[in-house]
Amino acid sequence: MSLAPDSRVRRALGSDHLAGWMFVAPAVVLIGIFGLVPIAWSAIMSFQANDLVSAPSWVGLANYQALAKDPAFIASVRHTLVYTALFVPLSVAGSLLVAWALNRKLRGVRFYRLAVFVPVITSTVATGIIFLWLLDPVFGLVNYLLSLVGLPEQGFLQDTNQALLCIVVMTVWGWLGFDVIIYLAALQGIPQELMEAAQIDGAGKWSSFRNVVLPFLRPATLFLVVWSTISALQLFDEIYVTTRGGPLGATTVIVYYLYQQAFQFFNAGYGAAIAYVLFMAILVITIIQLKVGGRGVYGKS
Amino acid sequence: MRRVSIGTVGLLALVLAALVLAAGCGSSGGGATATPGASPTGVVNITMWHGDLDYAAKADNKLVAQWNKANPNIHVTALYNGSNDYALQKTLTAIAGGKPPDITYLFGSWMANIAKSPKVVMLNDLIAKDPSFDWNDFWPAERLAATVNGKVVGLPALVDNLAIVYNKKLFDKAGVSYPTAQWTWDDFRAAAKKLTIPAQKQFGWAYPADASEDTVWHWEAMLWDYNGDILTPDNKQAAFNAAPGVQALGMLGDMATVDHSVYIDTTNTKIQQTFNNGHIGMLVTGPWDLPAFPNVQFGVQFMPANHQTISGPDNWVILNNGADRVNASWAFLKWFTAAKQQMYYDLQTGALPTRQSQQKLQPDFQTYLTKYPGTDLFVKNMGNAVKARPTIPQYSKISTFLGQAIVSVLLGKSDAKTALDQAAQQTNAALAVPGQ
Repeated sequence: MSLAPDSRVRRALGSDHLAGWMFVAPAVVLIGIFGLVPIAWSAIMSFQANDLVSAPSWVGLANYQALAKDPAFIASVRHTLVYTALFVPLSVAGSLLVAWALNRKLRGVRFYRLAVFVPVITSTVATGIIFLWLLDPVFGLVNYLLSLVGLPEQGFLQDTNQALLCIVVMTVWGWLGFDVIIYLAALQGIPQELMEAAQIDGAGKWSSFRNVVLPFLRPATLFLVVWSTISALQLFDEIYVTTRGGPLGATTVIVYYLYQQAFQFFNAGYGAAIAYVLFMAILVITIIQLKVGGRGVYGKS
Repeated sequence: MRRVSIGTVGLLALVLAALVLAAGCGSSGGGATATPGASPTGVVNITMWHGDLDYAAKADNKLVAQWNKANPNIHVTALYNGSNDYALQKTLTAIAGGKPPDITYLFGSWMANIAKSPKVVMLNDLIAKDPSFDWNDFWPAERLAATVNGKVVGLPALVDNLAIVYNKKLFDKAGVSYPTAQWTWDDFRAAAKKLTIPAQKQFGWAYPADASEDTVWHWEAMLWDYNGDILTPDNKQAAFNAAPGVQALGMLGDMATVDHSVYIDTTNTKIQQTFNNGHIGMLVTGPWDLPAFPNVQFGVQFMPANHQTISGPDNWVILNNGADRVNASWAFLKWFTAAKQQMYYDLQTGALPTRQSQQKLQPDFQTYLTKYPGTDLFVKNMGNAVKARPTIPQYSKISTFLGQAIVSVLLGKSDAKTALDQAAQQTNAALAVPGQ
């Protein structure tokens, strides 16, 4: 009896669908305005010569054709790919190790977990400045430590061959905590019975890790690989606060090059074309990753 | 980086929200004027965007309040733009959105870009019709930097220049006599070498080497001092790769890679602190840096040889929101940029005088010199800023080419001639693109 008014309201609203959409409406509107509109707008801009000031003119595919021949863009693609190829495996494997170490009953384990996560919530500007000083070739602590053990001093961010590697180290350190949290959650979701069963069957530590833990972690790993790859391809903040693409362009990645084109040289059309090339690349790479990695995920097969 | 997508969207949202707010404030504060121009009450409301904080903003607000009190027919609202670094983007967004401010603060290097907008009010006629405004009272470098193809795009808002700032204690310890106005570049180089003590991590000089405009304009001052030029007089070809440029960059490169007397900061974030900590003998920098050196007993001297320096003037630009508001903006800016008001601003902030006649405003000018040690020479140095960077839209590109050339020489990756020739080739290609 008491259900009657409720169901009337429900009928009045049409269906659960409508109610659901109403709940998400604020988010949808915001994402629409601040997400979808700019996405569509930059698609249009990528076919224009647009300096953000004077009236834009249509240039068809000229921006994209110019990109294919732009050595600076090709170099930025190369830097991005090198960075991604280093960052993704290092951060995923590294975080698995750390999560494994933290997934046990230790004194003060909460403190360690917090310590691992702190870099994630620290502002990139702050960590960037800290690394700038740590890695300073003259006054930096790292070179001082190297000199103590008799190793030659390095140029780090000032060396065109080392700068990108330093950015890899910096970002792996900065974002490890996020991956660790995901892995910790996944590790804690592994049923204890399975581990015990494996042990009873005579599996050693390594064998049970390989045959029980790793398959269970596969969805988390897939998520982290996809997520880290997307993030790595969009690297910007750390470059902006430390090397600004230098020295001599050695750390100019795709998004930084986009920023330079659009907001320093006011080639907004060209910048939009770069954004769309990157978008398509991320889309293709993600689909491939999901296709390859999604096969045989536990619970899916 | 994971934050980048969220961050970018968030930033955009903030900018848009700020614009909506600014627009909202403008119209509600605008006495509910539906059409631009005078409201039924006869009050013209204008908005000015600036990038000042703290005591500088206080000085702005005090002057604006003074104006509003004395001029009931023109009400000025001064708004903080969030940061001058993004002022051009925000101004362009506001123009596209149809509600631009009446007056906006923009860096001098943007003049050629903003001049392309039909919203910008060119000031030649207003200046010509008003002899009491006295355009020539502004320093020559300011006037050059505010002019694009003969059109005056903005009024000087802030000015500075580069000179040698040196650490007296380090000179005394090394037994080197302080820089004089008779110094040559060889004297400069020799002093830097003597001031360099590797064991103590002490350098004679420091150079910002992030290949940004900061890298470039330091060198452009040297280029001019060596009697070189950035472009040919018609702005069609690079001129910086001629003999003076090669000499200037060659000397810089020798100091960096042969003498090792230069602390090279490729990230351009650490020089101030390093100088303040007593590791650097000399800097080439401007008056804005002086408050960052509380630990150093410093002296200031002109650039060596010909004393040529470079000036980076910023400007107030008027945007067209109807004739009434343009006239009101002009009336206000004429008063705001007059010597008396600027002297008040400079006394509060330590900024250099934008008008030459401010030096005659006594006793205020003397008080100002006493209050800000070191500025005396920077004021005199304004007379040495006789050239300006080309006010053409391609300059930002040319700057990146030059930035790469300078840094590659500083890091010993290239010699001066090769690096400059390559930059000249890129520059000539950029200048050849039609329709810019």
